[in-house]
Amino acid sequence: MSQLVTGAGAVASVGEGVDEVFRALCAGTSGLGELRGFDRERYRTRHAYEIDDRPAPGTDLPGRATDWLLRAVGEAAAQAGLGEDLSEVPVLIGTGLRELRSAELAWRDGTPFDIGRLHFGTALRTRFGAVRTHTFSGACSASLYALALAADLLTTGAEDTVVVAGVDTLTESMYGLLDRVNSEPPDRVRPFDRDRRGVLMGDGAAAVVLRREESGAETRALGRVRAVSMNCDASHVTAPDPQGIARAVHEAQWRAGVKPGDIDLVLLHGTGTQLNDAAEAAAIAEVFGREVSGPLMTAIKCMTGHTSGGSGLLSLIVALESLASGRVPPTLGLAEPLPGAEAFRFVREEAREGGDLRVAQIDAFGFGGVNAVAIVERAGR
Amino acid sequence: MTHGPGEVVVTGVGLAVPGAGTPEALLRRTARPVTGPAPEPFDTAARIGRRGHRYKDRATRLALCAALEALRNAGLIPSDGEEVTVPGDTMGVVASSNLGNLDTACLTAAAIAERSAVDLSPMSLPNASSNVIASWVAIRHGLRGPNLMLCNGATSGLDAVHWGATLVAAGRVRRAVVIGVETHNAVVEDLLGRSAGELLDGAAALVVEGGRWAEARGARAAAALGPYERRAGLTGCVEALLPDGAAPGVWFTPERYAEGPAGAAPVPGAVPRYDVTGAVGRASGALGVLQCAAAVGWLARAGAGAGAGADPDAGAGADPKAGAGADPDAGAGSAAFAVGRGAAPDPVPASRQALITSGDDTADAVAGLLLRPAPDRHDPHPARAPLISMECSR
Repeated sequence: MSQLVTGAGAVASVGEGVDEVFRALCAGTSGLGELRGFDRERYRTRHAYEIDDRPAPGTDLPGRATDWLLRAVGEAAAQAGLGEDLSEVPVLIGTGLRELRSAELAWRDGTPFDIGRLHFGTALRTRFGAVRTHTFSGACSASLYALALAADLLTTGAEDTVVVAGVDTLTESMYGLLDRVNSEPPDRVRPFDRDRRGVLMGDGAAAVVLRREESGAETRALGRVRAVSMNCDASHVTAPDPQGIARAVHEAQWRAGVKPGDIDLVLLHGTGTQLNDAAEAAAIAEVFGREVSGPLMTAIKCMTGHTSGGSGLLSLIVALESLASGRVPPTLGLAEPLPGAEAFRFVREEAREGGDLRVAQIDAFGFGGVNAVAIVERAGR
Repeated sequence: MTHGPGEVVVTGVGLAVPGAGTPEALLRRTARPVTGPAPEPFDTAARIGRRGHRYKDRATRLALCAALEALRNAGLIPSDGEEVTVPGDTMGVVASSNLGNLDTACLTAAAIAERSAVDLSPMSLPNASSNVIASWVAIRHGLRGPNLMLCNGATSGLDAVHWGATLVAAGRVRRAVVIGVETHNAVVEDLLGRSAGELLDGAAALVVEGGRWAEARGARAAAALGPYERRAGLTGCVEALLPDGAAPGVWFTPERYAEGPAGAAPVPGAVPRYDVTGAVGRASGALGVLQCAAAVGWLARAGAGAGAGADPDAGAGADPKAGAGADPDAGAGSAAFAVGRGAAPDPVPASRQALITSGDDTADAVAGLLLRPAPDRHDPHPARAPLISMECSR
């Protein structure tokens, strides 16, 4: 059973609002910059894809992620005609790092921060009157996991409408530990490139309104969610397992009732790390088989950075925009594909007119081997 | 009686709590026996050993301890092993913790400010991600179904139980282990403004399972899950679960619930109350799971014939006659329709059900859940449960 996406919202380093974000990505605009809020001298890595909303360079504020989340949800709710009242609507938020950045500031620097706002329920209640709020902290697939749970609530008939959102900002702990484990600090994210050096984090939020399919509603829908899979590798606490990823891809296609040959576009997870991209390439190659050269493929983290728990939903919104417009943003920095991905039809260097695109697949994988894959479809015209 | 298609039952309970080894031991009202020393911190090594756990944080180790016991209690792992005996993709994990990895985040940020990121231990990397608890439980036991981590404030533990049941009801998995865990350390104490002695250092776990799947493998159900609600306030939440003021058999109150003037409470004064945090400390994201574990203990006691009425502690702090509070007629009529969204009429009278609430009127919301006696298994030859379509594809 499928669901309709009737509203979308996005905030990222490259822009504010779905239209602006999608235009920026298609124009090949990158949000890459030198670290804005952390002390650069403490790291070998110096870059990230941050939202430039701090009062001054080198200073930081609590609650930034919460602000973006509220803006993304507000945009999605308005477009779906829900207005500002979400008192009866479940809101499921997927995040990797919650407001842990604010906790870091509170504990280390004594910055005032209410620890009851580590999760997003209080802020969503204040702004939208929302009480059926659930913050899932499921690493980098969290927002697609939230989408899967929302789809289940609609499928089982428990709900008619659910808001799904994702958000993350850089924490100094995660940025620092990634810096520590990278052998050579990356200066940008280069998904699927042979010479990729690792991941850089990005700021951002994304939100969609998901509605149960009903006659007449489709005309204003942005697209349709056909199915979302979710599983766990249960093998390693940080490294991905190609078998677990392949199972997630296969299950999503099976649930959606599509075959690899039906997929026109793949929004890859594509974090630009050695292990992740190799594992994803192996899984895609295995599931798609001879069809692997069929769909267009792209990975937007080259322009948004890794927006962690929010990244899956941001990719999904981009996929829906691509299906609607036929335009697919490029994978910047991809000079030569990694071994095993030579046959993939990457969109490179500049956006491509993809023609008649109907079905897209969106990948999201996270620490702990948590995988989620969504299959979406263009709304009828 | 056989289980309805959507019924979700509790088939295992596990605890890793100082001084409370069984669900019934959670039905205490003070932190320790009147005489004697405070219980020692829970020794995780005694249950899961030391090997392989060096770099796991305290919350993860506690969660592993509770999960292990719940899985064993549910008969899902052999007595000498840890890998589940059911297919790994038929089982999910839902963990809940608000404070679990706060120390890694804050201490790492402070270490960077003092020196640099180069001096960090790379072994801390997994603990910087809040879902590390759920991940390790999956790895340890080979659980390849959906793996959820709830960090949802005061209601988080009860929300986690709800999502475990939702995964089962939606056919994603046949069963899930739900874990609530919190710990205390310098970071947590500072950010909460509370001393270690006030705070839980422990974990609770439940196995929730589709009734027919439990039955198919001959597992005994300790309780059945009733409706769940998340509402703006305590009164609204209780009214949604128990319309027309039906009286539950017992009420597991929100953490440190202060009884207002007579008649102000949303649950009749005759109903015995328990605040499990009195015994184990403020429990934050672990609370709802601990409450469910305690409610399983209460149901077992009630089912053994003693009933809540025979509980010498029952009703302390409420109506002194509360022991008799299990009025057989109380609310039974209306309870037949005490249903959540879309549920079928309820055959179990309210007086035999446990009402569990987490969060109070100062929280972003209040979550509530009813836990009931498991249906008796009368049918000696349960129909062979058909495979759900998903599993045929594997």
